[in-house]
Amino acid sequence: MIEVKGLSVHYGGIVALDNISLSIPDGKIVSIVGANGAGKSTTINAISGMVKIHSGTITENGESLLIPPQDIVKRGIVQVPEGRKIFPTITVQENLILGAYVIKDREKIKKNMEKVFDLFPILKERKNQPGGTLSGGEQQMLSLSRALMSDPRVLVLDEPSLGLAPMFVLEIFKMIEDLNSIGHTILLVEQNAQKALSIADYAYVLETGRIVSEGRGKEVADDPIVKKAYLGIEE
Amino acid sequence: MKINLILQQLLNGISLGGVYALMAVGFGLIFNVLKFSNFSHGGVVAICAYFGYFISQHVYPNFIVTLILTAIVGGFIGVIIEKLIFRPIRLKGAPLTLFLVNSITAAMLVQQFFAVMWGDNYYPYPEFIKETAIHIGEFTVSKIYLLMLSISAFVLLILSYILRKTKIGIAIRAASSDIRTPSLMGINIDFVISTAFFFAGILGGVTGYLLGMAFTVDPFIGSMILKGIIAAIIGGMGSLGGGVVAGLLLGVAESLLIAEIGASLTPIVIYASIILLLLIRPEGISGKGYIVKA
Ligand SMILES: Nc1ncnc2c1ncn2[C@@H]1O[C@H](COP(=O)(O)OP(=O)(O)OP(=O)(O)O)[C@@H](O)[C@H]1O
Ligand SMILES: [Mg+2]
Repeated sequence: MIEVKGLSVHYGGIVALDNISLSIPDGKIVSIVGANGAGKSTTINAISGMVKIHSGTITENGESLLIPPQDIVKRGIVQVPEGRKIFPTITVQENLILGAYVIKDREKIKKNMEKVFDLFPILKERKNQPGGTLSGGEQQMLSLSRALMSDPRVLVLDEPSLGLAPMFVLEIFKMIEDLNSIGHTILLVEQNAQKALSIADYAYVLETGRIVSEGRGKEVADDPIVKKAYLGIEE
Repeated sequence: MKINLILQQLLNGISLGGVYALMAVGFGLIFNVLKFSNFSHGGVVAICAYFGYFISQHVYPNFIVTLILTAIVGGFIGVIIEKLIFRPIRLKGAPLTLFLVNSITAAMLVQQFFAVMWGDNYYPYPEFIKETAIHIGEFTVSKIYLLMLSISAFVLLILSYILRKTKIGIAIRAASSDIRTPSLMGINIDFVISTAFFFAGILGGVTGYLLGMAFTVDPFIGSMILKGIIAAIIGGMGSLGGGVVAGLLLGVAESLLIAEIGASLTPIVIYASIILLLLIRPEGISGKGYIVKA
């Protein structure tokens, strides 16, 4: 279980996160929803060791996660960043090889590559193409596959459905549930609050750096404030 | 020009161009990852030219052994320079201009050091090759130049293999487009940058050795890397392959022009053509870009 306690992050004078606490139990799907600039990406970047924290603690099973980002990946906590961030100049296959950077066993890397090619056959077809030549949706598949290459225990997904066609959004959410059912713990950040809440075991609502609501996915979805602000439903 | 002379100049040009290519790639490796023009590469070249002279002349006069040793020393000098003058400002998030200033200062420091210490003398490498030319019919080939060409080609081929086939090589190429995201794959970016400097330093070491062997060693030998930087720019910043091609072309153009119009006019023609070329094609020979779709 990952536990965030009293976390604050400042960017210069801007308070991006103000004393938030949340926990991500093993094997669950936890969602964070909130408007633009609420601090969602900042939260997961803190968990991934990508931003300096101002105060608070982040631990996994009692061990501090305030360590360099590469060591967090080695522990099995892997982020799929906002905006895909695939490497555009190297090939699809090379992107995937880097995804498995922490794995030393070559056979294992091969096996994982076959697994993601089964999941997304289009990537196999495109494996020798530079990542930058893929379509937006294909880049999202590559970004997710790249993360899966390292056998993560915990997958941290930052807006995986952003910019995808409705059909594919459904597929991505289905895939997230599938990944969860085979044992991956999921931390999901989404603007698509409705979907994110519907698959979440537990959810948090962030507003300008503070948690304003939390609970089981369904409960949060039924909260009148959340309904109005994030789901566009008036009571 | 007689056909023989042309062929000979062509070969000389390719050999010299091979060394320009080494310099272009050594320079380009760092430019790709950190996006600044690393003039301190000239410092590595100069230190290694002296080092190669010293061990081959005074310690162990064996060509292969001293070349390899010099290359390795070059690699470590690259790593040390990065740790001392680039890493601290990178971790502070300094602007690129500061990297540039540091790199130029380092190059000048090395130059002045050698000028003060050993500036009033020329230092020739031992004559590893007794007979300096091979004759094939009417055709004469300088052995030193052949050696330069084969060593440059060998070193560049190995580097190309590493960059394409090993994880760290792929990571260096990935970091060229995005230096933040590799951390999310468990890649230690400090190590990636160190390794890039190590490889660039090895190229600098080989460059210094070959230049020292082909000419003589003087404090300003490091400024030869200007040719390499020009090759990198013509090749298209970001494309190491482009830098290699441009280095070879530059060497050939230079040699042919020297034979045709003389050594004093050649640089004028070359520099004017480069400016013209970049006016027509500012992205260089092989400039290309990919878009990351949001
Ligand atoms: N590197 C940075 N420097 C300064 N301010 C930043 C930086 N990154 C984020 N911020 C600010 O911190 C706040 C939270 O940003 P964050 O990216 O975490 O929001 P978000 O919830 O992920 O938004 P979005 O849904 O638009 O992705 C915003 O006000 C943003 O402007
Ligand atoms: Mg965000």
